[in-house]
Amino acid sequence: MIYIEDHWQGLFLKPQQLKKWKKYANSADKKIGAFLQFKPDLAHISSAEHGELEGVPFAVKDNIAVRPFKLTCGSRMLKSLNSPYTATAVKKLQARGGVVVGKTNLDEFGMGSSTENSSLAKTVNPWDLSRVPGGSSGGSAAAVAAGIVPFALGSDTGGSVRQPAAFCGVYGLKPTYGTVSRYGLVAYASSLEVIGVIAKRVDTARMVFSIMHGQDDLDHSSLEYQPLPEVPEHLTVGIPIECSRDLHYDIDKSFKKTKDTLGELGFTVQEISIPSLDYVVSAYYVIATAEASANLARFDGIRFGERAIEADNPEELILLSRSRGLGDEVKLRILLGTYVLRSGFQDQYYLRAQKIRTAIRMDFEKAYSGVDLILMPVYSYPPFKFGGDGLDPFSQKLADIFTCTANLAGIPAMSFPASMENGLPIGMQFLAPPFGEELLFKACSIFEKIFPAPDSPIYSTEWSE
Amino acid sequence: MFQSFIGLEIHIQLLTRSKVFCGCKAAFGEEPNSNVCPICMGYPGVLPALNEQAIKMAYLVARALDCSLSKQAVFERKNYFYPDLPKNYQISQFSSPVGQNGYMDIEFRRRKKKVSIREVHLEEDAGKMIHAGDISLLDFNRAGTPLLEIVTQPDLEVGEEAEFFLKQLRRLVRYLGVCDGNMEEGSLRCDANISVNHLGRGLGSKVEIKNLNSFKFVRKALNFEIERQQDILARGGSITQETRLWNENRDVTEVMRTKESAHDYRYFPEPDLPSFKPDKAFLKSIETSMIELPNLRRQRLIRACLLTEQQADFICEERETTDFFERALSCGAEPQAAAVWLASDIQKMLNRSGISISESPLTPERFAEMLTLISQKRIHGKIAKQVLEVIFDENKSPERIIKERNWEQITDRKILKGVVDKVLERNSPVVKQITQGDPKPLGYLMGEIMKLTSGRAEPGLVKELLNEHLYLSFIQVLSMGGAITGKVNGAGDISPGDLNDVIRQVEEQGDIPKSIRFEEIEISRILSEEITPEDWSSLIIALDSYLNRGNTSGIVVAHGTDTLAYTASLLFWFFPDPPVPVVLTAALNAEEAAENLSAAVVYASEKKGGIYVSLGKTLLSPLNLKFERIAHNGFKNWNLQSPLYCSKDLSLSLLPLSDRKELTLAIEQAINQVCILKIFPGMRGDYLISLMNTGVKYFILELYDTGTANLRESPYSLKKAFLEGKERGVLFFCTSQQEGIVDFSGYITSHELWREGAIPMGSLTTESTFTRLIVSLLASESDEDLLRLMEEFSEDINFRA
Ligand SMILES: [Zn+2]
Repeated sequence: MIYIEDHWQGLFLKPQQLKKWKKYANSADKKIGAFLQFKPDLAHISSAEHGELEGVPFAVKDNIAVRPFKLTCGSRMLKSLNSPYTATAVKKLQARGGVVVGKTNLDEFGMGSSTENSSLAKTVNPWDLSRVPGGSSGGSAAAVAAGIVPFALGSDTGGSVRQPAAFCGVYGLKPTYGTVSRYGLVAYASSLEVIGVIAKRVDTARMVFSIMHGQDDLDHSSLEYQPLPEVPEHLTVGIPIECSRDLHYDIDKSFKKTKDTLGELGFTVQEISIPSLDYVVSAYYVIATAEASANLARFDGIRFGERAIEADNPEELILLSRSRGLGDEVKLRILLGTYVLRSGFQDQYYLRAQKIRTAIRMDFEKAYSGVDLILMPVYSYPPFKFGGDGLDPFSQKLADIFTCTANLAGIPAMSFPASMENGLPIGMQFLAPPFGEELLFKACSIFEKIFPAPDSPIYSTEWSE
Repeated sequence: MFQSFIGLEIHIQLLTRSKVFCGCKAAFGEEPNSNVCPICMGYPGVLPALNEQAIKMAYLVARALDCSLSKQAVFERKNYFYPDLPKNYQISQFSSPVGQNGYMDIEFRRRKKKVSIREVHLEEDAGKMIHAGDISLLDFNRAGTPLLEIVTQPDLEVGEEAEFFLKQLRRLVRYLGVCDGNMEEGSLRCDANISVNHLGRGLGSKVEIKNLNSFKFVRKALNFEIERQQDILARGGSITQETRLWNENRDVTEVMRTKESAHDYRYFPEPDLPSFKPDKAFLKSIETSMIELPNLRRQRLIRACLLTEQQADFICEERETTDFFERALSCGAEPQAAAVWLASDIQKMLNRSGISISESPLTPERFAEMLTLISQKRIHGKIAKQVLEVIFDENKSPERIIKERNWEQITDRKILKGVVDKVLERNSPVVKQITQGDPKPLGYLMGEIMKLTSGRAEPGLVKELLNEHLYLSFIQVLSMGGAITGKVNGAGDISPGDLNDVIRQVEEQGDIPKSIRFEEIEISRILSEEITPEDWSSLIIALDSYLNRGNTSGIVVAHGTDTLAYTASLLFWFFPDPPVPVVLTAALNAEEAAENLSAAVVYASEKKGGIYVSLGKTLLSPLNLKFERIAHNGFKNWNLQSPLYCSKDLSLSLLPLSDRKELTLAIEQAINQVCILKIFPGMRGDYLISLMNTGVKYFILELYDTGTANLRESPYSLKKAFLEGKERGVLFFCTSQQEGIVDFSGYITSHELWREGAIPMGSLTTESTFTRLIVSLLASESDEDLLRLMEEFSEDINFRA
């Protein structure tokens, strides 16, 4: 089985090839702005290991720590922070020879669905430079879709790996919560998020996941990966009836097409119901912002980050540093999170959201007793335009409905390119029970055979010839 | 009347090797910011990992406080911004702490109490911010070190009690080895909650007090708050719920923040740490790590080794001392001797060398060996002290030391008899003097014998041999004056008389067995009511010298009736275990004199060692003696089931007897600070305050019945006097005007007295309390010492006999 195309293998061991690739990468990135820091030379020093990924370049979302790269999280607050350590997941890939070539752009601290919330750079969609690449792992998705790297790491808190992957026409895996160590992932909503992979091929995502997973002593919420005992020959896919509402025309079309295709490919397709789906967005934003309000409290300008040096006292220093260093969307979510955690209001918001979360888990448990996988759209809209011509922030949040469900339930999900509509890629996603990653890979591979990830207009492998 | 409710929040730093959520060293006093890493500095992307040693210590403390242990301990985030808090939230516990609903038993001012422990929870400490001029410096070495918070219910009532509880808790955590308990360095920290309210109305508004970084501040701040809040309530005001800071420079509490500005910590479960579920193996390891706790161990030692409370407190304060003591016992040491040596000479040696007992060359084995040498009479006390010094200097065993230095005592009767014979032969004029009735030169003979044996003769055996050779058995009769020796003059008044007259009469009556010879020594020729501190010191010095002389087989003290109750109890406390009987006697009139005196002489020759009071044929205890003319022979004992003649069980450590002048001065000084006051209806509290102004530091208050007095707000209330006294460090000891036991646990007013700091003296009479106080004042070095000595009657006298 081929995990990664030939031209990526041992790239860093072939000086001639490498030079050509760098030239290509630089010119491609100039068009799309995927990277906040692109320094292949810097990274190569730290990697001299052998393994499946020997000499293979990859990119890492800039909210995941890689020494000696920066760790900006797309925020002014951290624009000059150099990471003093490396995340466990990255270390594992480096130990198999993988080479980090740069850090990719994102919505500030992972908060957004378009990468427009980055305070440091603008990333565009390789399919249409006037459209967003999705988010928050927009830089990672764009880099893969532009052929700069075979895969990139992202983080998925409410869809941040799957949604940009769908927008850019590549694969995005959100693993089971806890199977990949979060050590080194800058926390936004700790109980929801996980490090995931964005890749051009299903096999690549599969291999990267197989290297990254496993319990980590540095992350007490991490779990030993216990794959399901067997993957059935014949797969049954459930389609929640609640999914068909409020979809954009192109999405609806692609969703229907995918259902039909699955039937033709031999999947058993049946309708199911996830009644709690109506509540997931509210529950998701209460829990995510509550955790974020605490997780982002550490950015006070004192020990690291941008400091308001002219402050007269420590309290003022904290206040000024935060007012200036954090962007509007981040402030909004911190305020919301602080609000829902106030004493006297927890019953109404935080605890109620936890109850919904339990209900969602139970709905899924029930659903998986009859089906192997669940098919859902990734996002209610196709890739949208920048700024006022695009989607307003509130609608963007409502459209998280299909992705954040998997985060609340803690289950694995994988988005895959399902069709092209009006020249833009549309992604669908499979959701599996906990530790059901192999089901996802199998289903996606079957689909990949008839509809492999399309090459974006920017994508090229000419440098390798 | 008011009630006060005090709860404490105690933070202890756990003595773990590393911090609670990262691998950094948990050490103090090192270069600032040297023990830090991305985790404890709150860098983006890092996660906490729970330290197993810390969670184990947390469960151990919770178990020791009899808490129900959490089956699923949850960690929560406590959110607040502060520059020394790296993550700007603290990982703590809220909904399901390590332990809940425990308790600790205490006994303060003779009142037993269960102090409930609301919860025990584990959390991380913050760093430290130091302001230097117009810059602020931060040191994160302490950030992330493990803290255990212990929260009590509001079961405490006064500052002193809270301080006492805190000390008991400190002893516990030090015993468990989880904290060094140093308040000044902040390894043990305490915040207090206090609520004062009108009696019977339950809890009022809660005031929190912070910045209590010493035991003294805990006490002072709480007492200040009680008074402040009572004042407000008394004026019809209400208490504001707020947090106050103790200002140690001004001795007051000051507002820090009000309820409105209180933090909302927005607790929520820590998503980075799964809840801790102790498995069977973990719980078993907690059980096996459980040790016998200091309180229980103390009680066991008191019972099993007949230790006094004071001895037990000393031995149980530090675990290594207790361990040393018990190991010495298992090596054959005798408990009493071991306790005495540990608290005195060994403690002195340790203080001098600045090491702890476990670090010293004195092992329990060597210690037991030394005590055995003493009990086998192979060395005596003086030599033992020298042996101790050599152990510390040369690190050798006692056996080896006495062998090398030839220090072994001569206990061979034959050898000693030879020496005694030789000395007596050489000193025949002196021997003659003694056999004719003057025992004074005995000391000289003793010295000669010691000289000949280079100090190695066993003193007891020498005394015995001398007695044998000289056929000595003296009853000394000392006179303190009074009617027993008085004369009725022409006008019918009694004037001080001559003891010799009475003795002559006694001899003439012929009631004294022929075998007894007695000599009289006149201490003073006064009337009983004229007794002065100097008379007492003369009596004590005289008694001490006769008791130690070796040829005294009994002592009679002729005394007046009026102050007999005082003198008798004074001697009872002063000579806890006299080797021969000391019999005090008195006569109501001159006619009884001869009869009473001869009866006393007979008792002095027949009884065992002890202090007795004889009046004709009636024998009474010197303790709780009451002079009541209507009683048989004018005297009776209060509250004693059976008479006590010896205070061994309640003994004070032996006082060094210096010369008469010094002792007089010391007694004078003690008495000058004491006042006995009988409460009467309409007595104004101000009287007590004016007495304090004249230098009274210790009041013995004779209360009504089981211990009540006026405390209602009025000029006749004692309350103000108590508050004023508390401020000035004045102590109040309470006795009853009637026969009966003073007990503050029942009645409302008496409980109020307890709360205000009065100490119930149980079944002790005013006179016995007074003399106990005088002797305790002589024996103690601080008020703390004194209190301990005065409170030592944990059980009532009448049950102890
Ligand atoms: Zn650390």
